[in-house]
Amino acid sequence: MNNQVMLESTGKNEYELFFGPAHPGSGNFSVKLEVDGEIVTSARANPGYLHRGFEKLMEYRLPIQNAVLSDRICILEPLNWNLIHAEAVDELMGIDVPERAKYIRVIMAELSRIQSHIIWFGVFSIGTGFDTGFKMAFGYRDYILDLFEMITGGRVYPTGYICPGGVRRDLPKDASEKILKVLDKIDEMVKLEEIENPVLQARARGIGVLKLEDAMRLGATGPLLRASGMKVDVRKEEPYEVYDRLDFEVPVRKEGDAYARYMIGIEEIKQSMKIIKQALREIPQGEYINPQFKKPKLNVKMPKGEVYVRNEGGRGEAAIYMVSDGNTKPYRVKIRGPSFLHMISVLEFLLKGVQIADVPAIYWSMNICPADLDR
Amino acid sequence: MKKESPKKKKMKKIIKAIWIFNWFNSCGFCELVPVVGSRWDMERFGMIVVGSPRHADVLFIAGYQTLKSIKVAQRIYEQMPEPKVVLALGSCTITGGMYWDSYNTIKRLDDYLPVTMYIPGCPPRPEAVFEACSKIFQHVKEME
Amino acid sequence: MKSDLKNEEKLLKELVSNYNVKGRIQRERRIWINTDKEKLISICKFVKEKGFDHLSAISVTDWLKEGEYEITYHLWSYKRKILLTIKIRVSRKNPSAPSVSAIWDRNAQIHEREMHEMFGVEFKGNDDLAPLFLENWQNSPPFRKDFDWREYVKKECYNKDNEREIVYHE
Repeated sequence: MNNQVMLESTGKNEYELFFGPAHPGSGNFSVKLEVDGEIVTSARANPGYLHRGFEKLMEYRLPIQNAVLSDRICILEPLNWNLIHAEAVDELMGIDVPERAKYIRVIMAELSRIQSHIIWFGVFSIGTGFDTGFKMAFGYRDYILDLFEMITGGRVYPTGYICPGGVRRDLPKDASEKILKVLDKIDEMVKLEEIENPVLQARARGIGVLKLEDAMRLGATGPLLRASGMKVDVRKEEPYEVYDRLDFEVPVRKEGDAYARYMIGIEEIKQSMKIIKQALREIPQGEYINPQFKKPKLNVKMPKGEVYVRNEGGRGEAAIYMVSDGNTKPYRVKIRGPSFLHMISVLEFLLKGVQIADVPAIYWSMNICPADLDR
Repeated sequence: MKKESPKKKKMKKIIKAIWIFNWFNSCGFCELVPVVGSRWDMERFGMIVVGSPRHADVLFIAGYQTLKSIKVAQRIYEQMPEPKVVLALGSCTITGGMYWDSYNTIKRLDDYLPVTMYIPGCPPRPEAVFEACSKIFQHVKEME
Repeated sequence: MKSDLKNEEKLLKELVSNYNVKGRIQRERRIWINTDKEKLISICKFVKEKGFDHLSAISVTDWLKEGEYEITYHLWSYKRKILLTIKIRVSRKNPSAPSVSAIWDRNAQIHEREMHEMFGVEFKGNDDLAPLFLENWQNSPPFRKDFDWREYVKKECYNKDNEREIVYHE
């Protein structure tokens, strides 16, 4: 009786709901929601379940050891982070990378991007209740993991394949045909995903709309900006490796909802396949690593200086800021992950006023990686 | 024939199909989700993934644990009904691994939970996971 | 095809003439300037109107021997395609700096929250500096150079009497 009187007088009916780390639809990240009936009134992000302190771990190790550690910064796209760390060390030490190595780096980074987008579809499908999509996605992803094992030696973690100076091993002789066969299979999968599924349309259209001014103010980058109408891509703004010689397009949409982000992901897979086919045709013969770095030297001092390197990861803009004071080990490494701002500011903004049933769909449509946030 | 202890009788009846509750951190997500998928199909061995710890027999701890996430893992362990088994997957969980000098990770899982089986690797292959699960059946057979 | 650095030189000249900063051009698309804590907010407002509307990162470097923290702000402009880095120095005892969250909104507020937790820097004007990654952490801020992780881990976690762990104590 007392409770009833209290509720009537305040008029509020809110209680706290933990959308936590052990929920099958949430990954290793938790959000604290305040809920009034079925509607969420406010959200607060609670990260830190995966925090290892990468930035300081890298200060205790040599650059060649950091190359192996850098696969694990974001475990869903290991080769892209390998690439950005190698670029930072190359620029700081002034190393020339041979042409063939640059083409191999681009091929591996684009394969890793395709694999990461396939995981995105798989988990987005679970979030909207389309379980067939999940099984399909993880089935097709295994073809790419077999390619990684053939070329680099590891299914999930490529053992620091892209190292400062070039790549560790040359491509095997039959790599080109095998890559093209796998791309045909991925083509099949993309055609199946493009069929307009009514379950997905009903759960994803018009949900989680992000307008362009809000996206700029909250610090969103990558596919979130492209789905809201702005055509930006780091590979076109400041081309790195050989992207200025390759021909590809940047897909853009205007609606800014979860369905637009999903369709941009599919378009990006198609563009990545186009890049890989061009690179396989144009790749020259030559060295796969700068000859001075073939055998790793342990006592090379890095010159004093600082660099800031930006790349286009699967989730947005990724960057590394590295400072050296003349020793063999770096003095300070700062890692900027794309999911850092998406998960805290954009998520808290988008979850206001939605129903509880829509929370997983919005969450997974932003393609976030908890390891990238906590580092 | 030796007389079977009551615990063994109970475990023999229950462990015919294993219901898993998984607590994945990084490596676990990349290597164990394909195990559920269509290539390394684990449902043909009778293992399925359940959504609540109250229905599970086996707790799979995959990947390194931090000070914040080990508290959640302990609470999940307490919610599971007897008999239960804990599997530790990956070398970072067992000995600290690559992050041995980090201030925020757990170096030895034995100090926090009673572990039955260790699966080393960085990360271990899916075939290793199947071998571990078949050894659980063996463990029950040889139990007193 | 080398570009001619005209845009970068023009921008650097404007900043030097208006605010008397010390700067250099590292290569195309990279400008680094050093300035004081007092001029920070007015320089930031000036460059935001010139098109630098994306704050990429805020970072702190701990120069232990000189007794100072160096706070760096990395700004990117989508129109001009230039990355401008602003560096200021503050003292290591009771470090504090003005907050730029009035200019770049939530983006800056969250970066400052992380730097407060990891290095202990007070940002005046930022009203949400709650801990982000750690819970109940009572020791010194973890990323400072005088907090040695290997010593801390040896004391807390590894056991001298266990013969397998003797190797970590050498």
